[in-house]
Amino acid sequence: MSPEIRLSTTPAHARHGSSIGQPLTRRDGALKVTGGARYAADNHPEGMVHAVLATSSIARGRVTFLDLDAAKAHPGVLAVMTPANRPPLAEDPDAKLHPFMFRLDLLQNDLVRYAGQPIAVVIAETLEAATEGAALLAPRYETLPARVGLDGDTPFIPAAVGIGNPAEVRIGDVEAGLAGAATRIEAVYETPAQYHNAMEPHAIVAAWDGDALSIDTPSQALAMAQGRIAGLFGIAPDNIHIRSPFLGGGFGSKGFITGPQALGILAARMVGRPVKLVLRREQMYGPVGHRAPTRQRLRLGVGRDGTLTALGHHAKTTSSTYDDFFEPAADVAHTLYASPAIATSHEAVRIDTGTPLFMRAPGEATGSIALESAIDETAWACGMDPLAFRLKNYAEVEPISGKPFSSKALRECYAQGAERFGWSRRPFAPRQMRDEDGLLVGWGMGTATFPALMFQAEARAVLKRDGTGVMESGTHDMGQGAWTAFAQIAADALGLDMARTEFRAGTSDLPDAGIAGGSAHTATAGMAIHHAGAAVIARLADLATGDARSPLFGAGNAGVVARDGRLFRRGDESRSESYGDILARAGLGEIDARGTSAADPDAQASYAMHAHGAVFAEVKVDPDLGQIRATRLVGAFAAGRVINSRLVRSQYYGGMIWGVSFALHEQAVADPRSGRILNANLGEYHIPVNADVPALEALIVEEHDPHVNALGIKGVGEIGVTGTAGAVANAVWHATGRRCRRFPIRLDDLLTGR
Amino acid sequence: MKARAFSYVCPATVAEALDAFAAAGSEASFIAGGQSLVPALALRLQAPECLVDIGRIAELRGISQDGEWLRLGALTRHVEVHDHPLIAACAPLLALAAPFVAHPAIRNRGTLGGSIALADPASEFPAMMLAVAAEMEIAGPAGRRRVPATDFFQDLYQTAIEPGELLVAIHIPVARPGHRCAFDEFARRRGDYAIVGCGVMLALPADVVNEARIAFLSVGSTPLRARAAEAALNGRPLDAAAIRDAQAALASDLDPADDEQVPAAMRLHLARVLLGRLLGKIAAAA
Repeated sequence: MSPEIRLSTTPAHARHGSSIGQPLTRRDGALKVTGGARYAADNHPEGMVHAVLATSSIARGRVTFLDLDAAKAHPGVLAVMTPANRPPLAEDPDAKLHPFMFRLDLLQNDLVRYAGQPIAVVIAETLEAATEGAALLAPRYETLPARVGLDGDTPFIPAAVGIGNPAEVRIGDVEAGLAGAATRIEAVYETPAQYHNAMEPHAIVAAWDGDALSIDTPSQALAMAQGRIAGLFGIAPDNIHIRSPFLGGGFGSKGFITGPQALGILAARMVGRPVKLVLRREQMYGPVGHRAPTRQRLRLGVGRDGTLTALGHHAKTTSSTYDDFFEPAADVAHTLYASPAIATSHEAVRIDTGTPLFMRAPGEATGSIALESAIDETAWACGMDPLAFRLKNYAEVEPISGKPFSSKALRECYAQGAERFGWSRRPFAPRQMRDEDGLLVGWGMGTATFPALMFQAEARAVLKRDGTGVMESGTHDMGQGAWTAFAQIAADALGLDMARTEFRAGTSDLPDAGIAGGSAHTATAGMAIHHAGAAVIARLADLATGDARSPLFGAGNAGVVARDGRLFRRGDESRSESYGDILARAGLGEIDARGTSAADPDAQASYAMHAHGAVFAEVKVDPDLGQIRATRLVGAFAAGRVINSRLVRSQYYGGMIWGVSFALHEQAVADPRSGRILNANLGEYHIPVNADVPALEALIVEEHDPHVNALGIKGVGEIGVTGTAGAVANAVWHATGRRCRRFPIRLDDLLTGR
Repeated sequence: MKARAFSYVCPATVAEALDAFAAAGSEASFIAGGQSLVPALALRLQAPECLVDIGRIAELRGISQDGEWLRLGALTRHVEVHDHPLIAACAPLLALAAPFVAHPAIRNRGTLGGSIALADPASEFPAMMLAVAAEMEIAGPAGRRRVPATDFFQDLYQTAIEPGELLVAIHIPVARPGHRCAFDEFARRRGDYAIVGCGVMLALPADVVNEARIAFLSVGSTPLRARAAEAALNGRPLDAAAIRDAQAALASDLDPADDEQVPAAMRLHLARVLLGRLLGKIAAAA
């Protein structure tokens, strides 16, 4: 038995004086509000020049002409990179060696496959000159008709959806279940294309020194970025040093190195000087991923007793013409509601768009708004309260697999959320409530769900003779508070307080912390940190217990507890020794050890692992204008152990606001003729402003999960989007009596009944 | 987000400004508060070779009353329209509309003259010039002239100002005690350009409407006056029947186009609702 496993049975959080669980403020907060936090684009190495992308204004065709002379003649322009002179790459940007590798547009030819695709890069002494140079290129094209939208081409069944999920899954006989049902609902819902739009656009500062490459760029997955760049440029990963201490948001769009970032590296190679390349806001609507639109058909059958007899969820989506990512929207139906027959299926069309990618709750967000709407419609059709209907169809085991849940406190979420919201006072029928100004008031709810995933990570722990400790893991702070939460886990893992724990993160030379994605970062890197701490404590304990001069001599590893910079003999608090004394006697300045983490395959095989939640929403609708305001949201979420409730609440808030956005605001509009995004800016691509954000409450529902990992952590990053969007949509129905199935809900949908 | 390179001059008088513009040829642009022009430059929607900054011209500042007329210098900032006691007393409709103009930071810099000269059909102040029967004072190489608001707004972003001319002041007839006014607008999100906005000004002597002026923003290519709706009100008591008729008359006043935000019929519907509410508010207060 390894020391990691032995010590993790008495986890750090169980000990006295734990840092885990404290609602600490962000350790980097002061840096951020004073402008001291250095984001990628804040770096200006000596001799740095600027690169600006020229992007395609057509969605499909070929570039036939670029006015290179005009661009090069502009004062300050150093070079124009095109397919004709782009430095060679070691790997074809269109190669796809594994499902996590996405094809990039790196000027490999003159073909255009989506609007906004980079077609040249202008490098100049100043940003102004590079911008002007890019404008002077005045490209000409051979244009083919663009394929746009969900009906843009012939649909097909993709080989897989998401990452490797089967496109079709079924248990039981849905058709029979529907045929035998007392009540049947069939409805079609549409969700639009959405773009991540992190506050910080993708940015890179790249500098070459021979074959060594130094990069400042935001990344949700440093080691993956390092590997991808190494492959593209034919250099060893160790020769690439990436700094990504802070991300101004990621939401999935910074999970993979994107084309524009690689173009920045190419530009630096071409001119032999450090290069900075920052995407403009409108350039974020093409080469850096998005959430594809969906059209989802839900079919539900219910018996006379109110239990589901069948649940069919079919989703159509779009992908690019040149790569594979298919939003797994229907898969949300696998886990939420008990039904003897469930069938999920997907189809897709290939259109002239940049490849869609992971965007906060990919699949769950799109699928949830449709499923939660359909559940609401079905409850109404059965004459049941929406909460009562959900409880009636509560899944005691995961419906699609029959596996027990590792933990599931959804009932408590329903109860606590409903109590806090005042759900019991909800009139059953719609259009029953008005406020003092005559506005229609509606209450709706939705169930939130997201899988509890684990990836792989590594950490290194150091204990020093001066009584301090260091924990290293290349984790990623996207704004979610990783610097703080991991430092809390690290302090407990080392048996030190926060002040004596140095946590190092955010660079690629540190141990691989995996991916800040799939809501799994805290669980994954947290467990690596936990194990690294346990391993270094075990080494320290060996030194002490094997040394006759130590008060701990003979205690044996399992008989020692680390706390507050000292090892104590278990069961005899009077016998202890400080880390510094142990190391000093051994003549050591410091000791270190590594820890790793990965999902436990046995637990995965035995249990279904998900976080859950219940969201209750109030909206007010102006009966004449159709104007919708979300006025109150209460979410109650159970996601295992909470490392820092302040940060976790912020994650829930952010997700819930996104849910409001999904239901009422966000939509990218593609021109049906040109395939261009018409609202590629933050003025016309609506996201909620502060005044649109209702009173928010996020309740943390206690949940102990002994199976997901030793720390009991599930994820909180994405779940808030799910449930909320449907709750808002259902509240709009309850306010108005109109069921809107096309999102975002527009005021004219309410008035004209489209 | 970088503008194309341009030269910059900052004259001290109107005459110098006109000369500077003429010297730069047709590629010059006046700049005042810059709240529309600077973003347009950064987005490269405009690329003048020379910016003539009129921000230091003293004559263009100040709000003053001269008998029956209120004079607002073209450089009057939105925040002054919002706060100035003379505006509240003599042109209350503008004070009502001011809080709807963008956000405080923009109102601190943006100028009334700039907004009117740009003539964005979705802006509040250009439309309200129609409702308050303002006259624009324009200076040019050939001298000065005054143009009534009804002749000033000609087409999308097209006004009576000729190239090389400069809007120097706005003159507004002082509202009399019997005048009533109301303003409201509707946007999907707070702070956005309105989908529809409306300002109403009318007199109610002896409880009968006269001099009704109704102006809409965001329903066409220019700010629009709703003359049929006005006619439906003039000479009648401001009762439910008159309000209904005015709302109905909007069908002949407004001919909005479908756009990405709302279909045309929806926009007309919203215009009717807004007008009905504004008139109802005036009637209730009377």
